[in-house]
Amino acid sequence: MTVEVSSLKELVEQASGTSGSPDTQEYFVNMGPQHPSTHGVLRLVLKLDGERVLRCIPVLGYIHRSIEKISEHMNYMNCVHLTDRMDYLSSIMNNWAVAKAVEEAAGIEVNDRIQYIRTIFAELERIQSHQLWWGVLGMDLGAFTPFLYGIRDREVLNDVMEETIGARLTMNYVLPGGLMADIHPNFVNRVKEFIKYFRPKLDEYDDLLTGNVIIQERLRNVGVLSAQTAVQYGATGPVLRGSGVAFDLRKDHPYGVYDQADFEVPVGTVGDSWDRYWVRVEEMRQSLRIVEQLLDNIPPGDYLVKKLNSKIKLPEGRYYSQLETARGILGVFITSDKKDEPYRLHYRSPNFNNLWCLEPMIKGDYIASLIGAMSSLDLVIPDIDR
Amino acid sequence: MGIVTDKLPGALEKVPGGNVLVTRFDEIINWARANSLWPLTFGTSCCAIEMLMATGGPRHDMARFGAEVARPSPRQADLLILAGTIVKRMAPRLRTLYEQMAEPRYVIATGACTISGGPFIYHSYTTVRGADEIIPVDVYVPGCPPRPEQLFHGLLTLQKMIKEGETIREPGVRRKPVISALPEGVTLEDIQGEMKELLVKENVVDVHQAVDKLKWPSGTNDGS
Repeated sequence: MTVEVSSLKELVEQASGTSGSPDTQEYFVNMGPQHPSTHGVLRLVLKLDGERVLRCIPVLGYIHRSIEKISEHMNYMNCVHLTDRMDYLSSIMNNWAVAKAVEEAAGIEVNDRIQYIRTIFAELERIQSHQLWWGVLGMDLGAFTPFLYGIRDREVLNDVMEETIGARLTMNYVLPGGLMADIHPNFVNRVKEFIKYFRPKLDEYDDLLTGNVIIQERLRNVGVLSAQTAVQYGATGPVLRGSGVAFDLRKDHPYGVYDQADFEVPVGTVGDSWDRYWVRVEEMRQSLRIVEQLLDNIPPGDYLVKKLNSKIKLPEGRYYSQLETARGILGVFITSDKKDEPYRLHYRSPNFNNLWCLEPMIKGDYIASLIGAMSSLDLVIPDIDR
Repeated sequence: MGIVTDKLPGALEKVPGGNVLVTRFDEIINWARANSLWPLTFGTSCCAIEMLMATGGPRHDMARFGAEVARPSPRQADLLILAGTIVKRMAPRLRTLYEQMAEPRYVIATGACTISGGPFIYHSYTTVRGADEIIPVDVYVPGCPPRPEQLFHGLLTLQKMIKEGETIREPGVRRKPVISALPEGVTLEDIQGEMKELLVKENVVDVHQAVDKLKWPSGTNDGS
């Protein structure tokens, strides 16, 4: 396998003066950093032949906030709070990833109540994230109505979570050693109400968008990502499962209390945008199932097993911990040198690897398909740049 | 006369003979501008979900304030809602976007990051310490991220500012920036001064003190 290494400048120089066919001319187009369907400040340099995309080169750094560097100057309790701002649509899972790494390194065992609550909230947040993605996918393809439907249901779930946590987006709920606060007395009832409310809404989603001819035409056989390429590029989450690889950390390496819940991992067959769409919609149903099973069995106990102060020190060594967020595997790599601050804290973010699947997906396809394919990847740009 | 006589009784003056005459044209223009702000869809990070998506949704409906026509092109927009951190690489692009917008243009800075750098202010080598280092800001909406209701308060503050604001005779002359939803008695200068003090304290090193802290091996560098 040869690895092609070339800078952006060289690529532009190569392309100037050459032309693909007698009718058309190859040229470069900048997409972003300010573009409505790049979901933030992603910049794509597109090499086009007419309307066909020959190359698609992501250019990063427009929202690089140096979170990893800042974390080196923070104690472990504070590092958790910056992770909310990385992949802000799965903030609880990000918190949990760091908390899990610190707990494993420091040898803290949390009780069952904490694990149950963490799992329930992670699944609720997964639903919330997919709701927003579903709405935005419709908006990217030119239909505004799904956006209104998605946001409407997201607000209902937001209210339930806000009652316990107190925040709408950056939750800061999971800490190393437990949770920020116990669940609200109304929580269980309100989640049950939500499940009752949202089940029929999922069928409504299907009526509105899933069965729509235009959506099918825009997504089917568009942006095909083979299983081999997905594994090679390190794609995880619904992108990998859409390509037919049934790998889900919740099932294969269970953490939390996922081993006590009965659920299925939806897997696609072709690996096109449609499969990724279907996997996410199906995941919402499975998440509802998980929450429903766990909700009645929350054991009594403390919500904080050990009150850690800011001076917690990890033993010297390297620690890696990972879990499945709404977009894939988030890995936390800590190098500790026996101080209260990490020597190095690295995040293996799911969106970064998923982004690079865009080029093999879209090579040779029309530029209009690029929007649908990119929307089916469900990228969050601040998680890519960190 | 309908809407003009109902909403703007002060702008019209009855003249003998029964006709009305528009005497203060500024007010009508400012009223129209304030109630039809077209925001630019510009979101860099977390605040974009709350500021652009939740506010566009059915519960917190931004259309109630006449500001729902979000435009992806800066040439069609006159309100820039800064949602998210501005980093050094994005700063020139932000300036370009601002300059491409049609005049008169207004800027609302939402969230801690765009106001001061927020949680990324210390030890970060990329974050811009406040968007007002790059472009002028009219209204600040604090929060991390602010709730949609807070943005609406900021929007109403901006509308009030526009209505009382510039005139045709003195274009470009604006009132001072406003912080939406802050207790009375706290001004922007206070906060900026405090932030500056903290930053200086964080980043200044007393070289002599630092040298004293280092443990030199005795008798090697004392010149004897």
